Amino acid sequence: MSDIGISRRPHGWLTGMREAIPLLGGYIPVAISFGLISAQAGFSTIETLAISTLIYAGASQFLFVGMIASGSPLWLTVAMTLLINVRHVVYAPNIAPWLPKSRWWPWLMHGLTDQVFALAHSRLPQLPEHQRVGWFLGAALLAWFSWIAGSLLGAVGGEWLTSRWPLLGEVMPFALPALFVVLIVPRFTSRRWAAALGVSIAIALLCTLTGLTNIGIPLAAACGALCFYLIRLPETIAPRKGGHP
Amino acid sequence: MSLSLWIGMVIAALGTYLMRLLPLLWMQKRLKRSDPNGAVDALPKWLVILGPMMIAAVLGVSLVPRTPDIAGWLATIIGLGVTLVVWRRTRSLGWPVVAGVATFGAVVILARVVL
Repeated sequence: MSDIGISRRPHGWLTGMREAIPLLGGYIPVAISFGLISAQAGFSTIETLAISTLIYAGASQFLFVGMIASGSPLWLTVAMTLLINVRHVVYAPNIAPWLPKSRWWPWLMHGLTDQVFALAHSRLPQLPEHQRVGWFLGAALLAWFSWIAGSLLGAVGGEWLTSRWPLLGEVMPFALPALFVVLIVPRFTSRRWAAALGVSIAIALLCTLTGLTNIGIPLAAACGALCFYLIRLPETIAPRKGGHP
Repeated sequence: MSLSLWIGMVIAALGTYLMRLLPLLWMQKRLKRSDPNGAVDALPKWLVILGPMMIAAVLGVSLVPRTPDIAGWLATIIGLGVTLVVWRRTRSLGWPVVAGVATFGAVVILARVVL
């Protein structure tokens, strides 16, 4: 387990991998589902792996194979896939101030998913500069490989796996909300932030419940930001107890 | 996949990659122009706010359990509660997640037996 405050570590990439382990609980079951659906839609194992390796964006991959399988025009499928992924444009600028100079960053951006962003946004500022490239490499590679491996599992033996251990596929994804709640709680530093973050969480939840998952993230984040600008509440809830060292 | 489908997939992949990469290059240019000691201050205010809002939104989306029945929701609420309690005690990333997932699993199994 990794203490948030401890920053002196011998290998950044190892710390990154260790801290990305909770992501696997969400990635692998969803990737297995993708592999299974992709195989059922008529895509071969190699094609499924190519989609997971190259596009590497969960929701849009489901949409891509679903639209192709239902006979949608290719241009529309590609356009919708890109539209769903537009939310990624705000991720890199948000972590840019904490990225030390390195020629690796352009390549590493392929691994900047929703979840890796959430983790990096919280952890990079706490790490010493010389560990950040390694940390991101470790975290992003583990997440990427787990997504590819999960897709392979799903494409090859998804039906068998889901019928054999149905509960595992239901329990493991809880690692994602558990991780995100740990990442977001330290940001509830004032009433204003609490209200805005609360709005964002509530709207994303509502969107998912009403089947609008794809638009949920950008819409909820925009509403939360709007709430932050519109409301003027006293800044402090209470003095912070403990907190990060 | 036909050749056209492969090309379509590659365009989707390349477009997604560029959406992750180009904003980084833009921001790095902006940061280079600003005071090197005030990199964080060079971040536009709306972006500073949008970052945590995106994480909150990702949390909101992931809150819905795979099976959204009473057992699933009950396990989600109790699991989150345990996650927060363990986080308050340990201030770590890993233990709260392990405790949360274990609690979620236990509550789902128990609730399915009882309800």
